[in-house]
Amino acid sequence: MFKGEAVILIVEDNTIIRMSAVDLVQSAGYLALEARCADEAIYILESRDDIDLVFTDVQMPGTMDGIKLSHYIRERWPPVKLIVASGKAILEESSLPQGSRYFSKPYNDHAIADAIGRMLSKDAC
Amino acid sequence: MRAIPVKKVPTAHPEAASTLAVVVSSNEPLLFLTEDQTVIAASSSFCQAFEIDPATIPGRRLRDIGSGEWGLPKLTSLLKATASGSAQIDAYEIDLERPSQAARRLVVNARRLDDGDKQRVRLLLAVTDVTDMRAEARLKDDLVRDKAILMQEVQHRVANSLQIIASVLMQSARRVQSEEARGHLHNAHHRVMSIAAVQKQLSTSKAGKVELRTYFTQLCESLGASMIADTDQLSLAVTVDDSAVDADVSISLGLIVTELVINALKHAFTDQSKGRIAIDYSSTGKDWTLSVSDNGVGLPTGDDAPKPGLGTGIVEALARNLDGTLTLSDANPGTVVTVSHRGAQQRHASGPAA
Repeated sequence: MFKGEAVILIVEDNTIIRMSAVDLVQSAGYLALEARCADEAIYILESRDDIDLVFTDVQMPGTMDGIKLSHYIRERWPPVKLIVASGKAILEESSLPQGSRYFSKPYNDHAIADAIGRMLSKDAC
Repeated sequence: MRAIPVKKVPTAHPEAASTLAVVVSSNEPLLFLTEDQTVIAASSSFCQAFEIDPATIPGRRLRDIGSGEWGLPKLTSLLKATASGSAQIDAYEIDLERPSQAARRLVVNARRLDDGDKQRVRLLLAVTDVTDMRAEARLKDDLVRDKAILMQEVQHRVANSLQIIASVLMQSARRVQSEEARGHLHNAHHRVMSIAAVQKQLSTSKAGKVELRTYFTQLCESLGASMIADTDQLSLAVTVDDSAVDADVSISLGLIVTELVINALKHAFTDQSKGRIAIDYSSTGKDWTLSVSDNGVGLPTGDDAPKPGLGTGIVEALARNLDGTLTLSDANPGTVVTVSHRGAQQRHASGPAA
């Protein structure tokens, strides 16, 4: 959380899709941070400790794809919630860290906003 | 037995002329051998395929013909086993290596020919060069795999493109001031998502057909998620048989359903909070019927009243495209819009009957 608002990190290499995801997150009332690939995402996660949820694409250039990144984040920063999106119609949710959600592209904006809302409210004490 | 000089056909046991003729004229490369692997005759096809002068063959040991490349230890021992009756070589694969030539993959079949005379055991060795056939099969496998990879690439790009379009429409809808304009942009967004749903299904379907039950269910779930606040009050019910159709047809049907459901949600329940919209589809042979019905306010009275569900003209255009008949009627309560297609219908004067 940052100044009372939940912080969502968006990881997506396609500029237009990333911009739309930022718009989606901001319209839902959250703070949006952006990264173009796994390496950038990790750099951002290392430099601040207020990130609540990571919303990542799967197919990305660089050292890790979205699935590997989600496992890496779960290992290093367990409290961070995870949502993974991909162009594949089906992905085994069992290949993702427990409790993370998967959406195939094109995703329904409302569905993502709902999922973020539900996942964030789970750890409200 | 005394050594028989090379180049003379062994005369101790003369072969029947007909046997030799059959061997020599065989289409498949064929060798006719004695028990101790001396070649009695070789088919012309053998000599041609393996570039051996036919004159140099009869009377030579198998391991001595050509440049000695046929002295393959494995082949020799297999022929020995065949001669003794303890084995039969069936489709055995072996590589033939010749100097300054690429290896050839061979499939060999051997038989023991026994007419009762122990002095006259003969072997028949059939040789097929499958090198090219195998290379073609590997190439085909590579192409199939490349095609699968390419298809995945395409699927990914299409999903991304549809995401971009859907997102841009939503972004615009969020920014636009007028409620009417926002409505149009939301509708456009729904239409894009209905096409995206077909795309998703196609990527996992085997025959390139779209199963309508799955498709319409997903479509209505998506529409309900964005447009219905309380599903206890307003519900969408999908009843579809096992029909599966081509992508183009499913897109048209999906757009019709999207249009009619959006319109029912906007117009049918203006003075009531509870309602149900039913989407039904069934087909028999080439005939099919699609209907979207609601239990809401029903058709407005008067001829000038706008017809619900058909205002935009999209539904009429799509129904025409599918060679379907559009009907609108009272469901008492509510309205039902039906598109039906009868395969035997001749809608056009020209052209053969369906």
